[in-house]
Amino acid sequence: MDNLIEELKGKLIDILSLTDVSPADMDADAQLVGGELGIDSIDVLEMVVMVEKDYGVVINSQEVGEKVFSSLRSLAAYIKENRQQDN
Amino acid sequence: MRLAVESCAIAPLSLFALVQNDPLPVGQVDGLDDVPDLPRTHRLALAAARQAMQGRKNPPDAVIVGTTTGGMLESEELLRAGVRDGTKYRYHGLGTVAETVGRKYHCSGPMLTVSTACSSGAVALALALRMLRMGKAERVLVGGVDSLCRLTYFGFHFLQLVDRNGCHPLDKNRQGMAVAEGAAMVLLTNRPPENPLAELVGAGLTCDAYHPAAPHPWGAGAMAAMRAALADAGISPADIDYINLHGTGTRENDLAEARAVRALFPDPPPLSSIKGATGHSLAAAGAIEAVVASLVVRKGLLPPNIGLERIDPALHLRALRKPEQKAARLVLSNSFGFGGNNGALVIGSPRPIPVNSTARHRPGKDLYIHGIAAASGAGMTAATMERLRSGNQVAGCVDADLAAAALGAKTIRRLKRLPRIALGLARSACDDADPAVAPASVFMGTGWGALTETNDFLDRLFATDERFPSPIDFVGSVHNSPAGQVAIMLGATGANITTSGGDYSFEQTLFAAGLMIREDETALVLGVDEYHQHLSPLFDPSVGGDAVPADGGGGFVVSRSRSGGSCRVRLLYYGAGVAGTGPLIVAYGGSVGLQNGIGLVLAGIPAADQRQGEEQLRQFLAQVDFSAPVIRYRQLIGEFASASAVAAVLAATLVDRGNAGTLGAMGQPIDPHRGGVLVLGLGSTITAMEFGRP
Repeated sequence: MDNLIEELKGKLIDILSLTDVSPADMDADAQLVGGELGIDSIDVLEMVVMVEKDYGVVINSQEVGEKVFSSLRSLAAYIKENRQQDN
Repeated sequence: MRLAVESCAIAPLSLFALVQNDPLPVGQVDGLDDVPDLPRTHRLALAAARQAMQGRKNPPDAVIVGTTTGGMLESEELLRAGVRDGTKYRYHGLGTVAETVGRKYHCSGPMLTVSTACSSGAVALALALRMLRMGKAERVLVGGVDSLCRLTYFGFHFLQLVDRNGCHPLDKNRQGMAVAEGAAMVLLTNRPPENPLAELVGAGLTCDAYHPAAPHPWGAGAMAAMRAALADAGISPADIDYINLHGTGTRENDLAEARAVRALFPDPPPLSSIKGATGHSLAAAGAIEAVVASLVVRKGLLPPNIGLERIDPALHLRALRKPEQKAARLVLSNSFGFGGNNGALVIGSPRPIPVNSTARHRPGKDLYIHGIAAASGAGMTAATMERLRSGNQVAGCVDADLAAAALGAKTIRRLKRLPRIALGLARSACDDADPAVAPASVFMGTGWGALTETNDFLDRLFATDERFPSPIDFVGSVHNSPAGQVAIMLGATGANITTSGGDYSFEQTLFAAGLMIREDETALVLGVDEYHQHLSPLFDPSVGGDAVPADGGGGFVVSRSRSGGSCRVRLLYYGAGVAGTGPLIVAYGGSVGLQNGIGLVLAGIPAADQRQGEEQLRQFLAQVDFSAPVIRYRQLIGEFASASAVAAVLAATLVDRGNAGTLGAMGQPIDPHRGGVLVLGLGSTITAMEFGRP
């Protein structure tokens, strides 16, 4: 789980161009969207595409999305859970 | 128009094949004429223009087209197939749509292209209205057009803005829009024709300056646009008999628009969105709905909100569920787009309407420059101007990090090359001006738009078999994305207009600024293009060959206030190349005036138009009997569409310094007694920007 969180940090920095942020700055439990990182609705959609592309996990409703993207930890948990179901 | 029969034209996409997945519902035009080599967008525009011009003998004085796709549908296929022959992309540019329509109807005047996403059609009509009121034209053929293409089909889908079950505006269970295509053109005249259909009474343009894609949650900019349109028409909310909503069917748009309507109309008149029937035809929508509004006032028939089953109680609106026969004298039509771009039109029956004529502004013809900025291969403003003034080349690619150096990391996080340069120029021009005068409106010309975002979106779309394109790249690929970002950075909530007409895009934006800027308003005028190593040589026929890769741009903070201005600027002339330079000389007031007033000519001859441009220049110099020096500025600034914006900043700098500088390497001293500088654009279009002492 912690490994996945660290992996996600790197991916988010890359796809969302968070060039002024280092993985150590990112709190796994902090509010992900609308928080200090400045992540907004377009970034969420970019993350949706990444999660499906890299982990094969589909997030296709706003209700699910709001829960999943509430923090890095919840995102990692959702990926872990739904990946396992696939396997 | 089949709105009275409550039909819906939305059906699964069949225009192009998908690599996978079932086609989503779209609004697709059937039975379009096949014209070899001409892209679908152009053919849609011609089909609409043919109807508008039916029975009209005289050519229009101007053509204005709103479009976002241009030749994109065909370019996508060529790019996917790896076609590297630039001639195949000759209709890619947005400006080629207006030029194709203009040529067909023998227009020798301005052929302008507006690209403000989904408000483009409405913004085009607003510009046409201003042209007619200011006496710049008597007959304008104007409208909007977009064809379906992969960029918009997948772009909106991956933004999760497309409803898989058709389109249900205002419905409790609405899930989004249906991407569509279409065209509408109207012939607007300054005097009522024999049997007028309707009158365009007023227009209001604003910008949310809030978010690149999402509307302001309370519809602040939407309400301001409606309010401005009513004020422009000299009427009050109570005068409106019907509102044609933007009503795309997305959760956010419909909620924000409903809030805006309720804020302005305590007791809203009958209203509906037609997009449940037509889908959302993007740049065409505003023009199509202006035609619908015209039919409403003409026929007294209010169209129903197709697709509505259960209205969303959160909207607190009542919408028309059935067509209603009811006289409507004045109709409000809304169009909103990415970049927080808002346009509202008031269309009325052509009977005499009590209009408060003082509400209609008649601004002076000149603009005054209060701040300047430029970016080139040589650096930003000071470095660029220093080299140019001594006659040295600045051609090369802008250091985008340098251009964006003064901007915060969060501001530029999602921005690639073009918006970084644009925002850097905007910041720099504002820093050069009096900080007390913050620009309210933004005008930006770009020949090719954000090429990096466009390229990256399509590359990933193709590479992943249409599965994983980047939503961020889609939002960034829209031509007016940089101007929308500038508005957010500056808090500029006035009109926000992006024009795109190849090598004359900056001139078009100066044209639009001259029409739109109010007496009391400060505006930012920009011209910017980026060099993209893959796409620029394909799209821009002047790029490649001997020319070094080059990009950049320039910009001004302008207002109608002479006080504090360093230079006066006006777009003196804009017309078709085939008309020659004669009309330009007439526009200045004759050759004697030119001989006495102009101390320097900066001539822009695109490499692709070398022969035609040189011939035009030779004719011009012969007609005027000109002795002032002429500098072919593209040799110094480089071959790119917005090179004229850098030339414009050079002209303003030279005028400000009393032409004291010499372009030494060219060996051409400038006569200090003739203070004006003329920046000519030559080739397929002829333009003249005049710079003089304030």
